[in-house]
Amino acid sequence: MADIVQPRPVLPPASGALTVRLRRLGEVTVQTLRNPVTVIGLVIIVLMFAMALLAPALTTPNEPNPYQMPRDWTALNEPPGTPGHPLGTTAHGGDVLYGVIWGSRTSLWLSIIVVAATVTIGTIVGSLAGFIGGKIDEILMRVVDVFLAIPELIFALAIAAVLGPSFSNIILALAIVYWVKYARIIRGQIIHVKQNEYVDSARVIGDTKFRIYLKDVLPNSITPVMVQATMDMGAIVLVGATLSFIGLSEAGLAEWGVLVSEGQVGISTGRWWASTFPGLMIFLWALAFNLVGDGLRDVLDPRTESR
Amino acid sequence: MTSTAAAGISAEGATGALVASVQNLSIHFKTKAGMVHAVDDVSFDIRDGETLGLVGETGCGKSVTARSFMRLVASPPGVYAGGKIDFWSSEARAAGGGPVNLLTIADDEMLEIRGNRIAMIFQDPGKALNPALTIGNQLAEVFYQHRSDELLEPLGPNAPVIIRRAAKQESGKIERVLLKLPPLRSKAAKVREEVDDHVAAALAETQIPNPRKIMDRYPHELSGGMKQRVLIAQALACNPDLLIADEPTTALDVTIQAKILKLIGELQQRRRTSVLYISHDLSLVREISDRVAVMYAGRIAEIGRTDDVFRQPLHPYTRSLMAAVPSSRNKRGELAAIEGNVPELIDPEPSCRFHTRCPYAAGVCGEVDPRFLRHDFEHGVACHIYDEPAELGIRPDELPSYERKTR
Amino acid sequence: MQIRDYLIRRLMVLPILLIGVSIIVFALTRVGGSPIGIYMSHEMTPEEVEELEDRYGLNDPLPVQYFAWAGGVLRGDLGWSGVAVAPVTQVFRGKLAATMELATAAGLVAVTLGITLGTFAGSRRDRLPDHLTRVFSVSGSSMPDFWFAIVLLIVFWVYLGWFPVGRSDPAIWASIAHPTGLYTIDSLMAGSWQAFRDAIWHLVLPAITLGLATTAIITRMMRSSLVEELNEDYVDAARAKGLPERLVLKRHARRNALIPTMTVIGLSFGFLLQGTVVVEIIYQWPGLGRWLADAVLRGDQATIMAYVLFTSVLFLTVNLAVDIIYAYLDRRVVLGS
Repeated sequence: MADIVQPRPVLPPASGALTVRLRRLGEVTVQTLRNPVTVIGLVIIVLMFAMALLAPALTTPNEPNPYQMPRDWTALNEPPGTPGHPLGTTAHGGDVLYGVIWGSRTSLWLSIIVVAATVTIGTIVGSLAGFIGGKIDEILMRVVDVFLAIPELIFALAIAAVLGPSFSNIILALAIVYWVKYARIIRGQIIHVKQNEYVDSARVIGDTKFRIYLKDVLPNSITPVMVQATMDMGAIVLVGATLSFIGLSEAGLAEWGVLVSEGQVGISTGRWWASTFPGLMIFLWALAFNLVGDGLRDVLDPRTESR
Repeated sequence: MTSTAAAGISAEGATGALVASVQNLSIHFKTKAGMVHAVDDVSFDIRDGETLGLVGETGCGKSVTARSFMRLVASPPGVYAGGKIDFWSSEARAAGGGPVNLLTIADDEMLEIRGNRIAMIFQDPGKALNPALTIGNQLAEVFYQHRSDELLEPLGPNAPVIIRRAAKQESGKIERVLLKLPPLRSKAAKVREEVDDHVAAALAETQIPNPRKIMDRYPHELSGGMKQRVLIAQALACNPDLLIADEPTTALDVTIQAKILKLIGELQQRRRTSVLYISHDLSLVREISDRVAVMYAGRIAEIGRTDDVFRQPLHPYTRSLMAAVPSSRNKRGELAAIEGNVPELIDPEPSCRFHTRCPYAAGVCGEVDPRFLRHDFEHGVACHIYDEPAELGIRPDELPSYERKTR
Repeated sequence: MQIRDYLIRRLMVLPILLIGVSIIVFALTRVGGSPIGIYMSHEMTPEEVEELEDRYGLNDPLPVQYFAWAGGVLRGDLGWSGVAVAPVTQVFRGKLAATMELATAAGLVAVTLGITLGTFAGSRRDRLPDHLTRVFSVSGSSMPDFWFAIVLLIVFWVYLGWFPVGRSDPAIWASIAHPTGLYTIDSLMAGSWQAFRDAIWHLVLPAITLGLATTAIITRMMRSSLVEELNEDYVDAARAKGLPERLVLKRHARRNALIPTMTVIGLSFGFLLQGTVVVEIIYQWPGLGRWLADAVLRGDQATIMAYVLFTSVLFLTVNLAVDIIYAYLDRRVVLGS
């Protein structure tokens, strides 16, 4: 349904005044925090981020590459609770807790890079489409539709498979797949602003298109982009972990998906911990961002009474 | 001037038995900002066979009052904060029995009354019909719900249980499947024929052309006027004692309006139904009501025989309404703006709700709730102008009066 | 009619989108590995390989190559699957049934559970059942399916031993004929209760796993549309007729709430398809998904590309079909005039 549903701007045309914008930001924050469920999500996110950032301090980083799971042949398949390995060890002797902690770092990298890239690409493409309009707009939107026609996981899978299994290729694949929604959001905003009266009056005053863009389109786009980005932070890690699980990442990487995949072998013999804990982290990460994204959307776009 | 509840007014001058009596009804709504007093201490009677018009601006509480007759006010956030609504069904009156309190009767008793003894037609006929069901189906529901015994008659005294349950709309999924099987199918078909006859008859009464064809149509295929006729047919299907009409013509064209009004009038006369007619349109109410009650900000301002109220409006609000009504040359008697706004009804202080907009308001008007006073045989008003200074504890010169404009 | 024009426009755009998808897939085949590799089987002679290179214009400029490739696709030549040691199209036909059976089972679970839960929550808005259902649906949407599958396996297979892994017990499978390729149907046709039970038992865990995310989405959609419908006037009008609340809910509100939910149900088809990849890996289900997973591990590009084409075409057509159906329903259901 490419053209029928465009996200509407929720904030009134943001005046240039910084104070107005900041106050609005404050209001939004307060209202979001009123929802206890959102707060839970935020707490989880903060804990995860903390864990990621403090990883080198919380564990002894593995040499030479801390992102590789350490191998300790003397401690294979230890169950949780063994001294030194509170969450147990993997079939290669890697400490599951180490994997959990460094995995958060990997996930943080993954999600931030991909989201940053996709927002940028999407904004550029969307802006081109919206501003130039006409044929370029048509073509770019068809491209967007084509990208949306391929199921995301399959698409990313195909790209990563073709490029070769590696963590950076997963990042690349996800970036290629996930930029389209932002293009639509930005383009929608531009079109909406174009159709609005106050742009005409601004033109009378003599603002150039670019200034209009900066002053009106961008600030109004922030909210739907923020909601989408929050949801994407969760979704990207989820899909990234799935891709890793399928085998498109590097063996032995301290990444949750890889750990779950490598931990599978022990299941039939009852060694549940190597897969369960990393998988739990993926779940919590996605859950937290979903909760916060939902909460944000309820506050910023209350027309959908999905609450 | 004696004080008495509005209900008392009617009872003393009663020319007929009562169908319903609202006494001190209060309905509040719980909101984040506080308790909204949508309806406060409202009292009025509806007599057998009469049309009582309930007039007021949007938001004055008339719709809420009407809905509370059938307990259709959403219960959070709505709260029944006091009073009662007595109702005498025709059977009760015939048997010499007393009234039931609509607010406290059991749920299944209320289901018996809804659509059966009391019926309601809503403002926007387009929205009051389920778009996914045919007209016939929707009307049939009323008959199934309340007249299932009549429907089962053709089958004789030994109708199978499963058919009985189907007629009462109590079938489960499995029963419905079984009803499609041959032995039961023909019996079920007979019941359905009975229903269709009833439905067609009901539609014909409201002068809908080609009832049988209309029955198979969906709501969106009908015009606004037709839909309202359907709703009227639905409401009167079981010959209710009281019909509540919530602005039934507001959403219709003026030409259709007149026809619908005429229809309601005819049907009412034929069946001797009492009607509670809610509207914000004064001239319309004047045409069709025997008595009229004026509501403002959740309270009854004035009540009396239509001619009396229109010829001699007592309450300042009523007076300004009359003044605001355009001449008969204008199409609609819409209320023109009176200066000021309806007050916030959140945890209100005792005062006359109209005092901020009243040209004759005095100090006492902002401090004391006006009592309901009987001015005349059947004409009552809630305004300090008609009260005794002694009763209010003020000096005579502090009493508001029509002689003294204060703004 | 605005809606009809919109649909016609969509229909006309469809071929463009399909071409666009094919271009992307084509680009992918040229980007990684050997473009000819998709067609090569291990037993081809060098002459056959040369003939292939000619046919698919390996030495010609890209646009020519594209048309050669596209032509091949339309003729049914999707290449050779190294993993399955057979032409891709043939493998597809062979494994489709298994995946369809799984996806259908999951879909049924998701639809029935989703509608029930959504109605349950929507009719008790903002009260405990609603909150609990919300927790469930958010969790369901955040759940990594492979992890959920593993947890279910650990609990129900390793520890409790209630359910088996795989699609069937080989002995029981061999005991009946397989005209349709769908284990459940075949066993019913063969009148074998043992086989039917075997089929169902193997379906339980994978169907639940696959259906979880979809259940969550359907639940949410159903709940919010029910809440919207309950706010409509005709619901009060139905109550005013004296109908008991259960009838008001089922016959009036829910029926209308189902209509927008139908679109979600249609769209979820695509999600189910994606999910089969992971679910089939873990439960060792012999379907398209597991084949794809193997293909990924072993660089079988023909399979991967075919998969992309297949799922995209399916996704596009199902989405369009859903939109058409919804527009048809909506026309009948247009509120007001």
